Amino acid sequence: MNILVVLAVAAVFALLRFRRANLLVWAGAWWVGLYVIFRFGFSAPIPSSVVSLYMGIVSIAILAYVSSSEERREEVSRPLVRFMTETRYAALLGATVVAIPALAAANVYVQMNVPLEPPLFPRTVHPASPTEITVHDKKIDLDAGENPYLELAISHPEEFRKHVENGRRVYYQNCVFCHGDNMTANGMFVHGLDPIPTNFADQGAISILRDTYLFWRISKGGPGLPEEAAPWDTAMPAWEKFLKEEEIWDAILFLYDFTGQKPRAKEEVHTQ
Amino acid sequence: MTSRLIGSSALGCLAVVIALLFAAPTGPTGMLLRAQGPDIGTEAQRESGKTLYLKYCVQCHGEKGDGNGYATPHLLPRPRDFTTGKFKVRTTPSGALPTHQDLVNIIRRGMPYTSMPAWPNLSDQEVSDLAYFTKTFSPDFSIPENIPQPIPLPSAPAATNESIELGKKLYEENGCLKCHGTLGRGDGPSAPTLVDDLGHPIRAADLAQGWTFRGGSSREDVFKTMSTGLNGTPMPSFLEALQPEQRWAISDFIVSLSGSNGPGYTNLVVAKHVLDPIDLAKGAANFGSAPVARFPIIGQITEPGRAFHPPTTAVTVQAIYDAESIALLVRWHNMSAEKAGKNDPTLPVPPEEEEESATSGASKGGVFGDQEVAQPPAAADPFAEAAAPIAPPSEFSDAVSIQIPMQAPTGARKPYFIFGDAQNAVDLWFFDLARPDPLQFTGRGSADIAPNDTGDLSGVASYDQGEWSVIFKRPLRATSGAPFVPGEFLPLAFSVWDGFSRERGNRRGLTAWYSIYVEPEVAPSAAGPMVRTALLILVIELAVIGLVRRSRRSAAEVLRAKADGEGRQQAATRA
Ligand code: HEC
Ligand code: HEC
Ligand code: HEC
Repeated sequence: MNILVVLAVAAVFALLRFRRANLLVWAGAWWVGLYVIFRFGFSAPIPSSVVSLYMGIVSIAILAYVSSSEERREEVSRPLVRFMTETRYAALLGATVVAIPALAAANVYVQMNVPLEPPLFPRTVHPASPTEITVHDKKIDLDAGENPYLELAISHPEEFRKHVENGRRVYYQNCVFCHGDNMTANGMFVHGLDPIPTNFADQGAISILRDTYLFWRISKGGPGLPEEAAPWDTAMPAWEKFLKEEEIWDAILFLYDFTGQKPRAKEEVHTQ
Repeated sequence: MTSRLIGSSALGCLAVVIALLFAAPTGPTGMLLRAQGPDIGTEAQRESGKTLYLKYCVQCHGEKGDGNGYATPHLLPRPRDFTTGKFKVRTTPSGALPTHQDLVNIIRRGMPYTSMPAWPNLSDQEVSDLAYFTKTFSPDFSIPENIPQPIPLPSAPAATNESIELGKKLYEENGCLKCHGTLGRGDGPSAPTLVDDLGHPIRAADLAQGWTFRGGSSREDVFKTMSTGLNGTPMPSFLEALQPEQRWAISDFIVSLSGSNGPGYTNLVVAKHVLDPIDLAKGAANFGSAPVARFPIIGQITEPGRAFHPPTTAVTVQAIYDAESIALLVRWHNMSAEKAGKNDPTLPVPPEEEEESATSGASKGGVFGDQEVAQPPAAADPFAEAAAPIAPPSEFSDAVSIQIPMQAPTGARKPYFIFGDAQNAVDLWFFDLARPDPLQFTGRGSADIAPNDTGDLSGVASYDQGEWSVIFKRPLRATSGAPFVPGEFLPLAFSVWDGFSRERGNRRGLTAWYSIYVEPEVAPSAAGPMVRTALLILVIELAVIGLVRRSRRSAAEVLRAKADGEGRQQAATRA
């Protein structure tokens, strides 16, 4: 929520209350005020098509309210009728009559000149993985499997650190160019990629994935994405072409270690 | 009692006076002394810096700070070797150490278009601690005589057309063009021979792409770079050779070369319709006012035979079409034209070549091959009149390609961006710049590229002042490859091979998929819809006003009639 915008709208309403504004002014104020809130009041912007939908509802509600009693109808129509009939408003009326079509025409012009955008396709970020894949002639069970070196963390901490360190080497020789030095997707080639690489430092990225899922994505990359994973534009390489199985598992250990996260546990997936 | 009081207060005063006396001289000098001692931080600061270094920096700069980390074999420029005490971006004279603030600034901002990242998320204290720790690798920092003194950076006079003109003249007179080239595109005659102090090949900066400068691209930054030089590189300091006004003038000229603050990368090139038939003999002149799109080039690091640091950073593209054909003009900056040798998208690249030799570039296996870096390090005298040694002809020629899908995609699925895949082929237009004409290939993945000579494709290429301009021309609808249809988008992607860096096959710079839009010959005009809308609204408005006025008038008449009637009645009753 954009507090400043909401406060500003509230302040205008308070002022109108204080000045005992006419119902017509109130109707206008509600319409504009709500529009401003929908449009600028939220930190995550609402799509313009949704905003127009909301504004349609608001317009109907205001109309219904205004015409709900003879008195209100009177209060609203009186100033309007006076504006349209009394001679002292003639000049202003003329200007309004010209201004509204001019504004509408300008709007048409703007609509017809929106910058060209190539077709956009929505992206499936985490498509479902297959249940089993083959990497270097070895079958890997993605559902029941787990990083084979993870248990070393408790049984052989020193061995484990060696695997993490090896993962670090793998990462900085291969992944850093895209995923970046501190894993925030700020590698030196990112300005040429769309979609941009996954930001591993983001707490909602790899912590919600199983390590076998990462194994699949790393070994098979963009070319290994399933049918439903449109639009298959990712530059993520298929690392089985370069890395041994162990190196991939080590890289995964390193990703979690560096970012201080843990892979999602097996049980959670089943209880889901 | 009183005397004692007076006495004690006198004593107090005396103490204050004495204190002041001591404070007066020691205060400032004390501070000076401290500033004069080497600024190497406290033990705690260096320790904290070490922890951060081991997490964030060691992978590139190495445990010993000698620039030999895990990533180093894939990086060019190499991570800085901190043990040399040579730093590029400083405010201090040539050869001097950087100030603490210089180090802090460069760590914070990073070095654009190198693997040295910016570190925006570390706190000020963390960055400062890192800077202190970096200093521990070189003993030079703890020698009091080495304390860096920033050079004066006088305030800038306004940039004018005259200063730019003057700058151009000075740029030519002072030998900048020997390395940087007449138009600053990094193509000077000495450029191919340049190596840094450690013997690694280095390129003279492309001054027409200011956004790639390591030390910043503003006038002030360029002025500073020119005054300090870049230690450890052939880029000299001009502090002594040029007056400040002269350096400002050159800075103005250099800033004018880029034309804009940023690269302005886009994802779309618009093909304009032209009335005159496209004539290849006219070259770039065909493209007149067609809008220019700039796409970033990145290394091909997805298929084996990877290129981790392609020298090309961007291509600019323009497109036009006439009644029958479409033509695309692709341009990029290139240090030297390799017009001999061979190139081909299928040429194999041995896996060893992915790694640059970990030792000095002068040993075998440097990026440019052994012979070409025979020039001894640091001997590059920018002002030497002797012509630069001519680099032996490269084994590989420069080349460029455009790829479009074989069939226009109907949905989201495009062929794989690296030369297509088994299901979705790409039509590859390939120009080996050692040959007179482009060739056509069909790509079904990097491992499956076959010649596809339809005879549809023609083209011309020229190299001038550090820039290749290559035109491809094809019928709008051809035997092979998706058609170009006015009003529609089509994906397209580019690859660039630099023969000098032994790029061929998969070792190359490329772009991801971008789009071309074939703009219809007559763009729909907004005038019609605008007038229609305005008129419609006007009519509605007038109708509403008319209605209101009429009903108002009739209401008034009724009232009047009523009033009249009442009046008459009253009159009647009175009567
Ligand atoms: C050429 C650039 C590039 C390189 C190099 C690269 N990646 Fe990626 N990677 C991407 C992109 C782009 C994505 C996001 C799109 C996608 O999910 O495929 C991605 C996604 C991923 C994901 C998927 C995460 C998720 O949210 O599903 C993982 C895991 C991953 N990368 C790991 C790695 C590892 C490990 C390496 C090094 C061995 C690496 N990447 C190297 C570009 C790259
Ligand atoms: C991915 C590799 C990489 C990482 C990680 C990295 N650097 Fe660098 N760094 C480089 C490269 C490459 C250069 C040289 C760039 C050049 O010469 O243009 C460099 C240069 C530098 C310089 C020299 C600047 C100058 O003016 O010459 C400093 C200081 C530096 N790095 C500090 C750090 C610190 C501190 C960290 C960790 C917070 C770090 N670097 C992390 C690759 C890296
Ligand atoms: C001996 C060759 C040589 C000469 C002469 C030379 N330069 Fe350079 N210059 C270089 C090299 C090499 C680099 C790139 C250094 C690097 O990549 O770190 C460079 C970089 C630059 C940069 C970019 C700095 C940055 O922040 O990345 C500018 C600006 C520049 N030179 C301006 C000039 C001007 C102006 C002159 C003449 C007054 C000049 N140079 C003369 C070799 C030279």
